[in-house]
Amino acid sequence: MTKYIIRRFLGLIPTLFIIITLSFFIIRIAPGGPFSEERAIPKQVLDNIEKRYHLDESLLKQYGRYVLDVLRGDLGPSFRYKDYDVNHYIGISLPNSMVLGLISLTLAILLGIGTGLVSATRQNSTLDYLSMSVAVIGISIPLFVVGPVLMYVFAMKLNLLPTSGWIMSGDSWKTMLMPVLTLALPYFAYIARLSRASILEVLRSDYVRTARAKGLSESVIMIKHVLKGALLPVVSYLGPAFAHIVTGSIVVETIFRVPGLGRHFIQSALNRDYTLIMGTVIVYSAILLIMNFIVDIVYGFMDPRISYR
Amino acid sequence: MSEGTRQQPQNPFGQPIKGVSLWTDAWRRLKKNRMAIGGLVLVTLYSLLSLLAPLLPIHSYKHQVLSHQYLPPSLTMSAGQLLCAREEERLLDAAKNSGRPSLNDEEKEELARFTQTIENETMVFDGRTVSIHRNRYLLGTDALGRDLLARIIYGGQVSIAIGLVGTLTAVLIGLIIGALAGYLGGTFDYISMRVVDVMYGLPYMLLVIIFMAIFGRNVINLFLCLALVSWLTLSRVVRGQIISLKNSEFVQAARVVGATTGRIVFRHLVPNTLGVVAVFTTLQIPSFILMESFLSYLGLGVQAPLASWGSLVRDGVDGMNNYPWMLFFPGLAMTVFLFSMNFLGDGLRDALDPQSKNRL
Repeated sequence: MTKYIIRRFLGLIPTLFIIITLSFFIIRIAPGGPFSEERAIPKQVLDNIEKRYHLDESLLKQYGRYVLDVLRGDLGPSFRYKDYDVNHYIGISLPNSMVLGLISLTLAILLGIGTGLVSATRQNSTLDYLSMSVAVIGISIPLFVVGPVLMYVFAMKLNLLPTSGWIMSGDSWKTMLMPVLTLALPYFAYIARLSRASILEVLRSDYVRTARAKGLSESVIMIKHVLKGALLPVVSYLGPAFAHIVTGSIVVETIFRVPGLGRHFIQSALNRDYTLIMGTVIVYSAILLIMNFIVDIVYGFMDPRISYR
Repeated sequence: MSEGTRQQPQNPFGQPIKGVSLWTDAWRRLKKNRMAIGGLVLVTLYSLLSLLAPLLPIHSYKHQVLSHQYLPPSLTMSAGQLLCAREEERLLDAAKNSGRPSLNDEEKEELARFTQTIENETMVFDGRTVSIHRNRYLLGTDALGRDLLARIIYGGQVSIAIGLVGTLTAVLIGLIIGALAGYLGGTFDYISMRVVDVMYGLPYMLLVIIFMAIFGRNVINLFLCLALVSWLTLSRVVRGQIISLKNSEFVQAARVVGATTGRIVFRHLVPNTLGVVAVFTTLQIPSFILMESFLSYLGLGVQAPLASWGSLVRDGVDGMNNYPWMLFFPGLAMTVFLFSMNFLGDGLRDALDPQSKNRL
């Protein structure tokens, strides 16, 4: 078991390496650079700037230099924002993104499983139809429509909530409410549908019938037998869910002006701010890979049919 | 054996059994699912609207009438009437500010002059003289005075086309790679499935965003980018199906007769996976459209004057406080379509589920 975990963890390193390499070359091969502007810069100045950021070296040499820097934990200076290094930027913006993402995901999981359970136990009731319709709407309506509509209704017309911003103390829930709900909705919807389907399937299985025949109480059957089996598909969906939360948070952070990691992602890619994009991609990918790794391990603990070799 | 002497299969009671193909059986079950049929009807309607867009009596999606900026949606009033109403309101406001409850004669005359100009003003489009202020904009206009209804329909054309073509490309790639990997096994299987594994681990939307931001932002790149990352799931599913089928009798029979590998894979095995593929396709189209509009929303997809639902929503968000219709109508159009697609996909999945074969 421990051996499997270690091996699986070491397996993350080459994947991260592939991601770094791929994004490094995608970014560098493209025409244009961080210092090519519409206004022509004198050649001498440009040469000096390029020398300062080692852009005058060959691509492979730059790549080697970058990888070594990353290994030392240094993501380099931002090319566009002077005196601003990427580590610093990530240090101040990552906590906001993490709080946003984790609250949304927790909310989506808890509400989603709860709704799925209620729907499945009262199959074909009005409540079931109602919550499943909400779930399909949640899947169909894009984040970038939900966000602005919420903002229009609750902030601009009803004046109940602030339109945007992010405060991490005291009255913070007011600024967090809309971004969190917007980000959570699609995953809530997906998890609700998934858990309803798998609970229904487990309810029909032989071992639940056996448990009923033994005379166990309904709540024990639900918690110990049904939920444990039914949660497996939900757990395995969490991997892709993390990936979607990351891309979703880029939009949500832009809409609600949350000072998170994703807010400047698009702009830094358009600006060709090489180190800032690379830094963001590396952090996002590392989080994703680690989350997927955790999901895999948890899945193995939960499903007795899986054994580690 | 001629047609006439061919024996009808019979059940133990001597009644003829009529064979039911997978598709007729599925269609019978799909018909009973009201939500799925509703979805099918709406999807057909959308497709017809966007296919026939050039023939419909709507304005062009790119004609700009600058004096028609931000006209609110109206079923009954023409652009000229809306402009006159707006002018009257402006004059009334000005009058109220100077302490008068109604317009004085001078202002009334100004309004009449304005109305007169509006009635007589014409513009030349494509060599024809049009009295533009007779135009009606059912869903209002945007910041450049373009008809929102036309932009939503043409935007839908772009979104649906990208969704459809992209999904078909992804299905084609996934089907071929999955089928060959499943049937051939060995090195090809190993390599292609490792590639799939690695690509699954990549945060590909991030890479797509970077790619779109850095290489041109146009429809072709967008479509290529999305198609290249969308075939992964299908190739795995098809591979699994093929592996479970490849040792069955009908494949062995084909091999004995001397069919080539290509023929066995594409004539005998692939048709048996089409049920799964159909479900995957209907569920993939909405997610493809979502990804496309997501990128267009970020300003990385379709560029003006072309529109897609995503870019329309983005335009709407900028002015939503004063011109909310610019956000609501594109958002609604898009949501209804995705909603119907999802219901159709769900219904199809239930209908094609082999466990419910011959069940009603």
